[in-house]
Amino acid sequence: MIYNLVQIVENSAKEFPEKVAFRFLNESITFEDLNIKSSQLAACLLSRDVKKGDRVGILMHRCLETCIAIYGILKSGAAYVPIDPFLPSERVKFLINDCGIKHVVTTNKQSKKIKKVVSEEENLETIIGLSETQNIETISWEEVFVKPLQEYKPVNILADDLSYILYTSGSTGTPKGIMHTHASGLAFAKLVVDLYAFKHTDIVANSAPLHFDVSILGYCSAPLAGATTVIVSDAHLKFPVSLADLVEKEKVTIWYSVPLLLIELLHKGGIQNKDYTCMRWVLFAGEVFATKQLRALMELWPHAEYSNIYGPTELNQCTYYNLKVPPITDEPIPIGTTWENTEYMILDENDNSVNDGDEGLLVVRSATMMKGYWNNMALTEASLYKHKIAPGFEHVYYRTGDLVKLNENNELLFLGRKDNQIKLRGFRIEIGEVENTLLKFDGVTEAAVIVANFQEEKELIATVLIDEKLEILESDLKTHCKNNLPVYAVPKDILIFESFPRTSSGKINRKEIEKIIKAL
Amino acid sequence: MEQTIIKHIEEELASEEIDGGLEATDDLLGGGILDSLGMMKLITFIEETFNIEVAPEDMVIENFMTVENICEYISSKG
Repeated sequence: MIYNLVQIVENSAKEFPEKVAFRFLNESITFEDLNIKSSQLAACLLSRDVKKGDRVGILMHRCLETCIAIYGILKSGAAYVPIDPFLPSERVKFLINDCGIKHVVTTNKQSKKIKKVVSEEENLETIIGLSETQNIETISWEEVFVKPLQEYKPVNILADDLSYILYTSGSTGTPKGIMHTHASGLAFAKLVVDLYAFKHTDIVANSAPLHFDVSILGYCSAPLAGATTVIVSDAHLKFPVSLADLVEKEKVTIWYSVPLLLIELLHKGGIQNKDYTCMRWVLFAGEVFATKQLRALMELWPHAEYSNIYGPTELNQCTYYNLKVPPITDEPIPIGTTWENTEYMILDENDNSVNDGDEGLLVVRSATMMKGYWNNMALTEASLYKHKIAPGFEHVYYRTGDLVKLNENNELLFLGRKDNQIKLRGFRIEIGEVENTLLKFDGVTEAAVIVANFQEEKELIATVLIDEKLEILESDLKTHCKNNLPVYAVPKDILIFESFPRTSSGKINRKEIEKIIKAL
Repeated sequence: MEQTIIKHIEEELASEEIDGGLEATDDLLGGGILDSLGMMKLITFIEETFNIEVAPEDMVIENFMTVENICEYISSKG
């Protein structure tokens, strides 16, 4: 019986020892090698006194070592916490402190970033994966890979143990850590393998960074089926022509990404003249795929099946809508129905179920649901809807905060957000967090951040009011944002206004600001 | 040419201050110096500053991996 994520690699190493588990550019690793190397990393962490429930950071770009880091940390009994290398140092430090991280697994490419973090962060004890020594204990990958395993004792990992914590933006201005267990991660991995009938002959492309939940499919579902995961390099994601070549060369059979990447492939990748007949599933999630664009892609790759996947990180994934033929109209496609081991309700503001076909807020109960938010019980409580069944027994649902309704075919339609959370290029951004960051700058008195539509592109634009006695430049504010926010949440432009348009109740009139910006 | 590009990346495009400055041989794409948006901006800057047009088929990793690669590419267009 398989009940934890570690068994994924252990089992595939037995069944497909010589098969390539992960490939990155010209490097690859077999299941057997991955099993050994991840045990060596686990042994290394255990010798540093890592205990079950500890958190170990992964600060890496997409590279081959990511899979060793994930499974090595899991085998040690700890939970892995991805740290986006693009995060500003302030944010990295917050994350390390918030999560109580003492050990970070990295690669030589991150040495500059690591140096900076180590010099300012006293709680770190060990850096694994660096060749040059730092002020604290540093262990290179070469040293990890010669670690003898005779005395290595595998940790007894239960389904309910913590497996990973993914940080996403929080509305108060501080990120929140979403905790998943081995059970919730494995439930997701299994449901994917089942729903899309993953085979050991599949080639799965992973373009997502580790801190993005989309990555769990490539790192857990694919190895569960004994399939090969191709880790797409950061460089390829910046050049659609190179990416298109890679997908053709690797003969990818299953693709999963945000719609944006597929749209770039479609328009800039020159995919019209290449061979993608191996592609059998195109999965996308993270934001709405404009139906027009989806149809264009489906006409180019008619042999593949398509699946619109929905689910906040708190739930991994929970609904899907599969398509074999292109949609006829330009109406947005549904997010579909919940998958197995999952149920939902649509509630009004008073937590009563709405009538079929009426708008309401989606709450979901699923085996793939998170354990809660790290170190934030109040937030966890507020995010849950508890449906009482009997005294002492209740069903716990996660409040997605997404507005939905059912169509005539009983499929869910996504209508928007209840709050100020937005999706930009697939990234979840809390408008409140960006505004609060700007307000922390000395002299900024008010801030309003809006999403402006420029032709097909959405951009984040900030407008602020400042204390006129101070000389504040728009570029100062931009630097401040860059130093405190993830790069995708940094507004494209920051404009200093003399006053804001207001509603009759005195609130900032964001719709008017949008009009002003459009007119500029 | 090299210095113009380095200066522009350091001052305008880098996601954060680059410790010890940027070198012509530094990996711009895999090392976390530029994100996708930054790369698009860099291409626009190169087109405007050096008065060339980067054709879609030229937008490949080999031409933009490092500042050195970029300079070689621009020279090949001249």
